[in-house]
This record gives sequence, C-alpha cells and structure tokens, in this order.
Amino acid sequence: MESKGSDDLELLERIRRGDTGGAGELFERYAPALLRFTDRMLSDRASAEEVTQEVFVKVISRAHQYDGRAGVASWLFAIAANACRDRRRRDRRAMVVPLEAVAEPRARGEGIESTIASRQRRQAVRQALSELSDEQREALVLARYHGMPYAEIADTLGISVGAVKTRIFRAVETLKAHFSEGESWTAAT
Amino acid sequence: MDCRDVKTIALDRLAGEADEASRRELSAHLAGCENCRREMGRLEDLWTVLGTDPDATVTPEFRERSLELIEEEFLRRRVREFRPRTRSVRPFLQAAAMLAAGAVGYLIARGLPSSSTASPTPVAGSAPRAIATPSAGVARASNTGSAVLDLASSPRFSNVSYRPADSDGRVGIEFDVTTRQTVVGRPEEPEVARLLAYLLSRNAETAGEKSRAIALVSEHYGTGSATASPEIVAALSATLRKDPNPGVRKKAADALASFAITPEIRTVFLAALVSDKNPAVRLVAVDALAAAAKQSPDAATIASLREKAVDPQENGFVRAKAASALKAISF
Repeated sequence: MESKGSDDLELLERIRRGDTGGAGELFERYAPALLRFTDRMLSDRASAEEVTQEVFVKVISRAHQYDGRAGVASWLFAIAANACRDRRRRDRRAMVVPLEAVAEPRARGEGIESTIASRQRRQAVRQALSELSDEQREALVLARYHGMPYAEIADTLGISVGAVKTRIFRAVETLKAHFSEGESWTAAT
Repeated sequence: MDCRDVKTIALDRLAGEADEASRRELSAHLAGCENCRREMGRLEDLWTVLGTDPDATVTPEFRERSLELIEEEFLRRRVREFRPRTRSVRPFLQAAAMLAAGAVGYLIARGLPSSSTASPTPVAGSAPRAIATPSAGVARASNTGSAVLDLASSPRFSNVSYRPADSDGRVGIEFDVTTRQTVVGRPEEPEVARLLAYLLSRNAETAGEKSRAIALVSEHYGTGSATASPEIVAALSATLRKDPNPGVRKKAADALASFAITPEIRTVFLAALVSDKNPAVRLVAVDALAAAAKQSPDAATIASLREKAVDPQENGFVRAKAASALKAISF
C-alpha cells in the first residue's frame, strides 16, 4: 500500500475536531480501495457500497480511538474487514432481498462484448472466492488485489505474519482445487 | 530447497514478498525439477486469473451519497440532545415568591388598597398553567405579568428552550422577546400548537433550534396520547419538504411518523420517498407508509413501494426495506 502516513494522521486529527472536509478527503483517498475490498468480500455491489459508507461513519465516531499502532490504511481496512464479517453474519441469519440482480455500473464507453466477458470473468472469480472462508479471503484479497505486504496484512487482521501466510496458502489450495474441478478455469481465462 | 518448500516460496514471490536469495534459490530448483515447474505454472495461472476480476469503481452517485452521509453524521453528532435547563435559581425564586406573597398578605391585612400591587402575577418558577386566550395569540406566563403574544407581527424569539411534558402533559416553552417568557400548555391546545408551529417554521434559524422544537413535539406525540394539531402537521410537512438540512428533515419525518397518518401526511411521505435525497429520510418514509398501508392499503403507497423495491439506483437499505414492507402488506 502506498504510505501517506503523516497526511492521514492530519486528516484523522481534522475529523476528531469535527471538520467535515477532513472526512471528505479521507473518503476521496481511501474509498476506491475500500470499495474494491468490500466488493470482493461481499460479492454484492450494493452491500459493498453500504459497508464502505459504514466504514467512514465509524471512522467519524472512532477517530479518537485510533492509537497509531497500525497505519491509518491498516486501521481502515480492519474496520472494513470487521464490517464485512458482520454483514455476512447478518445476511446468513436474515432473509435478504436478492441484491445480486442489481446490475454492475458499466464503465463509460465499454462495449457489450467486453461487458459480457468482464461479467463472466467476474462471476467465475467471485464464485471461486466465495468458497473461501472469510479469514482466507481477507488475507488473499489484501495480498492479491491491494498489494499489501504480509506484515501490514498481519496488522490489519490482528494476526501473525505466519498466520497470514498460512491463510493465503490454504486459500490458494482451495482455489486450485475449485478451478481444476470444472471448466471454470477456462471460462475465467 | 526441497520440493515441499516450493509452494510457499512461489507464493511469496507472486505476492512480492520473496527476497532476492529466495528467488534465486527457487529459480535454481525449478530449473532442475519438472514437477515443481508445473506447480509453479499452475500457481502463476491462478494468480493471473484472479487478476482478471475487474475492480469495483466509485461512481459519482456513490460518491455524492457517501459525502452526504458523512456530512449528516457530523451534523448528528453536533446536535445535542435536549436536556432540561439546570434550575439553580429556582430556590431563590421560590423564596422571592414566598416573600412577595407575605408582603401582599401583610398589605391586605392592613387594609391598604392593593390594586397596584396585588395583581395575579405568575412568578417564574411557580406551578405552570395554561391560560385561555383569544385566538389571535398565545398565552404566556412571565415574570412581568400575563398577556397575549401576537404572532402576526412575526416577533423574533431568542434563547428558546423547551421543558418536557409534566404529568398533565403540559410542555413548557421559554424564550426571550424583551423579557424572559414562559408558555405552558399541552401541544394539542391551539395556542401552544400555533406557537410551536411558529417556532419551527418561522422563528428557527439554525438546525439546532429546529431540531429542539421537533424533538419536543416528537416526545409528546410519541406516546400516541394526542391527535396532532393541523398547525404542527403543516409546519413539519413544510420542514420535511423544504428544509435543506437532511438531519432536520429526518427529525421532521420521524415526528410525522409518530402521528396517526392522515391523507396530508401520506402525501408528504410519498413525495419524500420519491424525491428526498437522503436515504435515511426515505427509510422513515417507507416505514411510515408501510405502517399506514398495513391498516388500510392504498394504491399510491403500494405502487411507490414496488417501484422502490426494484429500483437499481436506490440505496440497498431502502430497497430491502420497501420489499419487506410490501411482503407485510396484505392486498
């Protein structure tokens, strides 16, 4: 992850002082990455957006609790990871309206064919990711899609570097088994 | 390095975590081991496949909604909950009242004319009372005497504070005009209702002032003990329709939702569901409309809820709430 340490701390300080602009800047800086993370954790665009918003609302109320032990980015991803786990638990308990029917927003200028191909790839990968446990998926998503170093993943998830490596290793084993079982691998590629 | 270590180091390499020495060792092993080369190839393919999953992007709508929500959260934290004022002066005022009563008694006992001194002056801090008044104004009890407030001249009240309902359901409204005034009565009494509506719609200049006025009304009607007066419904409806502040609109919606729904309130909620920018306000509208439709389903409500339940542009919470509300309505 790109480090923006002192700037981030300054933004948190502004949020603590009740400066809406500080929270707005933090949103601009981290919302894209957090949305990517929540989207892959939840596999549902609407839920991902809501959880991402929830992260920023929590940051406003918890800014004073940030103790600086982990970087601000790790702290934000930790809040997002917890919020995703809560959401998945809640969704498992309650019957929810099927939100997966909601169309993904299409990038401007994207053609129909590439949209279909992109949707198929997304479905194949998401299907595979959904077979992972929350713990494995968090570690893998942070490593693969966010380029986060193991040590930072460990800080974010509150586990050891060894545990991070184990989770990623097991996640990859599960995915290999998933793709080698059917034709999903070919469909995805 | 033996074959058992390859997977781990290969993953480290893919994740950008392998150091130079490990990478060299891995390459040397792969050069001489066909099985491990195949395994490395499979891992690389998998890593590549994962990378083909397109990233979610922040749309302008999501950005706008989120920044609104952030602003609203700050606002919510700024609006302090209403707490009755500490009455540190009450013992002194009670003592003063007793002295005044004693003095009047003394003068009466001495048989002196008392017209100039013994008028029935309510003293601040004494038991509150509602006073019957002409329809043009509202009753007030002040430390200077009883009179009728003329709202038609749009007076500017400052330092407005509210006292929650007492055991008789009478609320207190205090404000400064030229002197400190206190009006006491039940919110459904026309004069008190007019004053509350006035404070809400014409006097309040800040979100905090409006929120406090709405909170008093909600607190009172939240018990379901009384029918809302048309003045208050009209003032809250106007606030829900027009107030630029989402926090204030949400409070107005909450207050309206605590009333028995009338055609006017239903219309305001239908409009809020369609056009209010704030999802929290729309959620209140869904709840209120659904509660009313459970008792007497109407076509406009059902059509609006249906529309919201399938609207892909709508906030997920609102969509889900509208869908579950429809399930609960028998039609």
